[in-house]
Amino acid sequence: MQSFETNKDDLIFGLSRSINVQILLAVAVILMATRPILPEAFIRLPDWAILSWDVWLSNFFNFVKDDLGLIYFTRTLTAGLENLLDVTGNLLFGKRRWPHLGPIPWTSIAAVAAVIGYWLGGWRMALLAGGTFVWTALIGQWKIAMQTMSVLAVAAPMAFFIGLFLGILAWKYDWFDKTIRPILSVLQTLPFFTYLLPAVIFFKVGPTAGAVATIVYAIPPMILMTTVGLKKVSPEIVEAGKMSGSSRWQMLRYVYIPAARTEILVGVNQVIMLCLAMVVLTAFIGMPGLGAKLLLMMNSFKLGRSFEIGITIVLLAIMLDRCTKVWVVKQPEHFEKETPWWKKNAFLLAGIGAFILFFLLAQFIQIADHITRKQDFSMGKEIDVLIKTFLDFDPIQATTTWLRWFLNVWVLIPFRNSLLWIPTPAFIILVTAFSLWLGGRRPAIYALIFFSIVALTGWWDRAVITLYTVLSAVILAMLIGIPMGISASRSEKWSNRILLVCDTAQTFPSFIYLIPAIMLFGVNDVAVVFSILIFSTVPLTRYTIEGLRTVPVEMTEAADMAGATRRQKLINVQLPLALPTMAVGFNQAIMFAFFMVIIAAFIGTQDLGQELQRTLAGTDLGKNFVLGICVSLMALTFDLAILKWAEDRKKALGL
Amino acid sequence: MKKLISLIAAGLMAIALPSKAFSSDSSDPIVIPLHNWSSQIVMSHAVGQIFESMGNNVEYVTTDSQAVYESVRLGDVTLELEVWEGAFGASFRAALEKGGLHDAGDHDAVTREDWWYPMWTKEACPGLPSWEALNDCAHLFTTAETGDKGRYLDGPVDWLKHGTERAEALGMNFVVINAGSAAALWAEIGAAEADKKPVVVFNWTPNFAEAVWPGEFVEFPAWEDGCDTDPTKGPNKEALYDCGNPAKGYLKKAAWDGMKDKWPNAYNTLTKISFTNPQIAMMAKMVDIDEMEPEDAAAAWLDANKSVWQGWTN
Amino acid sequence: MTDQPPVISCKNVWKLFGKNPEKYLENMPKDHSYDAISADGYIAGVKDVSIEVNRGEMLVIMGLSGSGKSTLVRCFSRLHDITGGSIAVEGQDIMALSEKELIELRRSKMGMVFQSFGLLPHRTILDNVAFPLEMRGQDRHTRRERALEVIKLVGLEGREDYFPRELSGGQQQRVGIARSLAIEPDIWFLDEPFSALDPLIRREMQDEFLRLQDLLGKTIAFITHDFDEALRLADRIAIMKDGSIEQCDTPDRIVLDPKTEYVAKFTREVEKSKVVKAKALAKHSQNIENSGPSVPANSTIKELARFLMSDSRDAIPVVQNDGEKEMLLGGMDRKEALDILFGSD
Repeated sequence: MQSFETNKDDLIFGLSRSINVQILLAVAVILMATRPILPEAFIRLPDWAILSWDVWLSNFFNFVKDDLGLIYFTRTLTAGLENLLDVTGNLLFGKRRWPHLGPIPWTSIAAVAAVIGYWLGGWRMALLAGGTFVWTALIGQWKIAMQTMSVLAVAAPMAFFIGLFLGILAWKYDWFDKTIRPILSVLQTLPFFTYLLPAVIFFKVGPTAGAVATIVYAIPPMILMTTVGLKKVSPEIVEAGKMSGSSRWQMLRYVYIPAARTEILVGVNQVIMLCLAMVVLTAFIGMPGLGAKLLLMMNSFKLGRSFEIGITIVLLAIMLDRCTKVWVVKQPEHFEKETPWWKKNAFLLAGIGAFILFFLLAQFIQIADHITRKQDFSMGKEIDVLIKTFLDFDPIQATTTWLRWFLNVWVLIPFRNSLLWIPTPAFIILVTAFSLWLGGRRPAIYALIFFSIVALTGWWDRAVITLYTVLSAVILAMLIGIPMGISASRSEKWSNRILLVCDTAQTFPSFIYLIPAIMLFGVNDVAVVFSILIFSTVPLTRYTIEGLRTVPVEMTEAADMAGATRRQKLINVQLPLALPTMAVGFNQAIMFAFFMVIIAAFIGTQDLGQELQRTLAGTDLGKNFVLGICVSLMALTFDLAILKWAEDRKKALGL
Repeated sequence: MKKLISLIAAGLMAIALPSKAFSSDSSDPIVIPLHNWSSQIVMSHAVGQIFESMGNNVEYVTTDSQAVYESVRLGDVTLELEVWEGAFGASFRAALEKGGLHDAGDHDAVTREDWWYPMWTKEACPGLPSWEALNDCAHLFTTAETGDKGRYLDGPVDWLKHGTERAEALGMNFVVINAGSAAALWAEIGAAEADKKPVVVFNWTPNFAEAVWPGEFVEFPAWEDGCDTDPTKGPNKEALYDCGNPAKGYLKKAAWDGMKDKWPNAYNTLTKISFTNPQIAMMAKMVDIDEMEPEDAAAAWLDANKSVWQGWTN
Repeated sequence: MTDQPPVISCKNVWKLFGKNPEKYLENMPKDHSYDAISADGYIAGVKDVSIEVNRGEMLVIMGLSGSGKSTLVRCFSRLHDITGGSIAVEGQDIMALSEKELIELRRSKMGMVFQSFGLLPHRTILDNVAFPLEMRGQDRHTRRERALEVIKLVGLEGREDYFPRELSGGQQQRVGIARSLAIEPDIWFLDEPFSALDPLIRREMQDEFLRLQDLLGKTIAFITHDFDEALRLADRIAIMKDGSIEQCDTPDRIVLDPKTEYVAKFTREVEKSKVVKAKALAKHSQNIENSGPSVPANSTIKELARFLMSDSRDAIPVVQNDGEKEMLLGGMDRKEALDILFGSD
């Protein structure tokens, strides 16, 4: 990586970027070298300097909640939301609420899903859509899956509409866009535990709080995609609309939104995926369904059945993802003249027909209506045995024992201790220097402010441990993910295979990784790093493949014609051009690591995640929020610097 | 739809039959919280089905086991069936002070939470269950990161088990590591099971683990009241937490203050409900070992134990 | 032809892009050049343009990209708000219109065709064509009827249920034309309608367009960067450069008498005999020999080549035939005509 010094606004005090980086490094080194004689206040912030944000925030929250009566307002909303959830709950799993019609037999739902799948993408999609529901029913998870879906069915549309609305506002009004953007950045890096507690306090424990947390979590990408889409509408289409005499509302309704269909549907895809991920995680605040069952299974050490639930979640995720993606690119097609109406609406009719057929069938055949515990095909116990046998396999034991020893004693613990040893100001300066070197002035200023805030909250040591875990995992992930991506990118076939593995690994509920991690490495940092590693390797591999495969053909051909060997081509042509894309992957790896490090609290850590997890059991909103912000600020520091670098680099390469 | 038919049938019956004696209970659902361990879930379903047999409506919500007391206080959920002295005593007492919920009596069952080991550990360290013997065997429990000290895996920090303080107070040659969740504890035991590696971890009874991995609690100096507040109690006169946990902790029920008036009959039953250790272990076993669904397990248990619970309903 | 008041009349129209252009224009010294304005950080899209478009006339605005031709036309329909000067459409100052009046004006009087068609991808051909009618709130039945009518007019019958992407470029532009005609506009704007098409199709569409115009007789502002196209279609051509109009005249006049060096650059390459018509050369003062054959006023010199070679008179009578009676316009100097034919300047 190289820095760019041509830019005028990179000059600070009239000095170029690299000089400034060197000055900052020098200061940090001096602080570290003189550590033994430094006054205590320079090593860690003295207690009197630490601001009690949490107390202030708690007071503030309580004031808003009770004195301003926000809680009455949110509780009213809760009632409305609860009604919606009751309806989907009744239809999907027979919750005893209005309209008292459900549950719909599983066969009906599976059949309709298959018809929709066929309409969207032919037999393969039909098989995926129908097959997912058949699997869910046969494995004996129908009811819990429907509990999850009933919340998803409410949360995803609501997130969609709210996101669309806010996205339109942000596109229309510049000031709104400018206000909302930093908030969105924070929301996207905020650990999910921080969404959960306020949701419970304001929206009542159970599905409503889960739905609210899910909605809030899924809104940001919808807003962004809406704005992007609306901005991209071709000016000619806009002018055509205006010249057709459209009023403002007509422009929005008939021109802008339909013309931004693709981006808006990509937003829908992201909303659904995030909703599904979150709906599982909200098990921590009492959302019933797949997530809750998974937690229960893990708490009673049923690996096999946890694994099966994981597969169900992956299948649901892949199905929803693929279906919406096909939907994005699906173009309308005309019917020949004189096509009879039933042929035009064949899919609608087939869907209704299949629904009614199986609905009636279910009245007479129990197995078409629901599958009981004894009838299902769960292989939980068998998988348990399989996993245990695998872990018991001597070479594996030997390898993990050695890894545990090596990583702990020689890598992780020394790394962690040395990070903790660095005096706070030196640490902040180092991070600032890094941001300056990578991203330039603005990211450096943010880094300085953000890390200083973290120091002022008084959670410094825990923040450093969080950062240490994230960095260790991401560095290890690079050692694995980048070579994997490079070798996979050589052939189309392998690229696709590895990308499918990436998809699967990413949608597999993150906390399932925790159990094998512990069983392999025990409760310690190696297990923590390992569980994050799985998650962080995915974006690195994915973006390496993507970056290398999108290098313009002329350039590789030019390299070939210049007589470059494969290795020379890779090092001199492909990698430099792929680097900006890979940086985006690196950034995502860090973001994922920050996400996962919080979940890794379930293994046992001493970082911010552990404290966050503790706050979940209480009502201390202030502390919860402060901890969340600490994580978010650290993540944002990296996000800003790396993305700025990638952007500059892309510009410089003219990509 | 069969449900629809049965619903209509139930409605017709309700009209045809003279109104029941329990009709003074509100028809709003009684909200019963479910947590993430099996015995509590089965017990909650069992009690829910008892309420239903009395003509009440019941609804279950899954909640966090610490946060639930706040919800009971506010009436979002109606009751809590398993208040463990060691694990939830603090949260329960805090909510009690704020008001809104009250103690609805104890179960017969007693609870215990403490340092525990699976049976194979005893083979390596025959002096167990005494804590001094454990300390002498510390070398058996060493790992890469703990050096020459033994490793004890305590419960999550927020369970406030004070393992570190106890190891220090009793001068034990152990490093205390906190697991992040119950699942982490089981995974650790499960991993050790394969080659019978000695481990000592935090555990409690009643739960499913005793059926999967037979084991024993380590015997520490017996609990004295005030051991956690008064340094002079216990063998070390200068330290707190120098005793084992109470071997017979309570297992309570808690109820929302409003329950008494809204569902008087159900409330009356709740105060009478009392399960014993073997009963709870039985319920947990039906789910954890026999792999039944909690609802089915509850129904099966109620079926087999009519004599136990029918007395509670009148 | 010019007795009626002009349909569009621009007076000293300015369109500047940049921060706060109104204020800048106010304080800017007169005769500030395009480059001087650029140096101040503003772009002169339209620079002090005065032009009129007459009823039934086809005005072609020709210029290279960035010359301001599209901007000027967008000022006519107030897709752009002008910075200075005034534009009147049918006598109404369009800058004074409220949003509602403006929408009404577009709904009733204006149609526009775009370079890359600007079709709504999610609507069928029928729905695209009916779109302006839908916007003004016509009911489903009448708008369908009218849309089918124009679809037939542009020769796309039977394709009304297709979606835009299922058609070829030429067909898509026919849809664009049909849409712009759906509301029967008086004024028709065409922004490089044929530039995105293949040369062969472009030629075909130009013929089609001339046929339509013969039929409809609209008032047209047509933008192109193709000088040949301009010559082929225009009643008058306005050549633009750097936001200003260099010259605005009939095609013959421009070819015969380019006013600036810039215009001359275009005309130099043109085969003049294909452009100049007999009527442009007819002069009253000439001594006309009434006897002998005459030539029609609208024939190009190229078309008359054989005749010019065989005839020996110095002046040839040029006759305008407007259906019933023939009118003598004057005499065409044969030598001048032959000069044009052989390109000797």
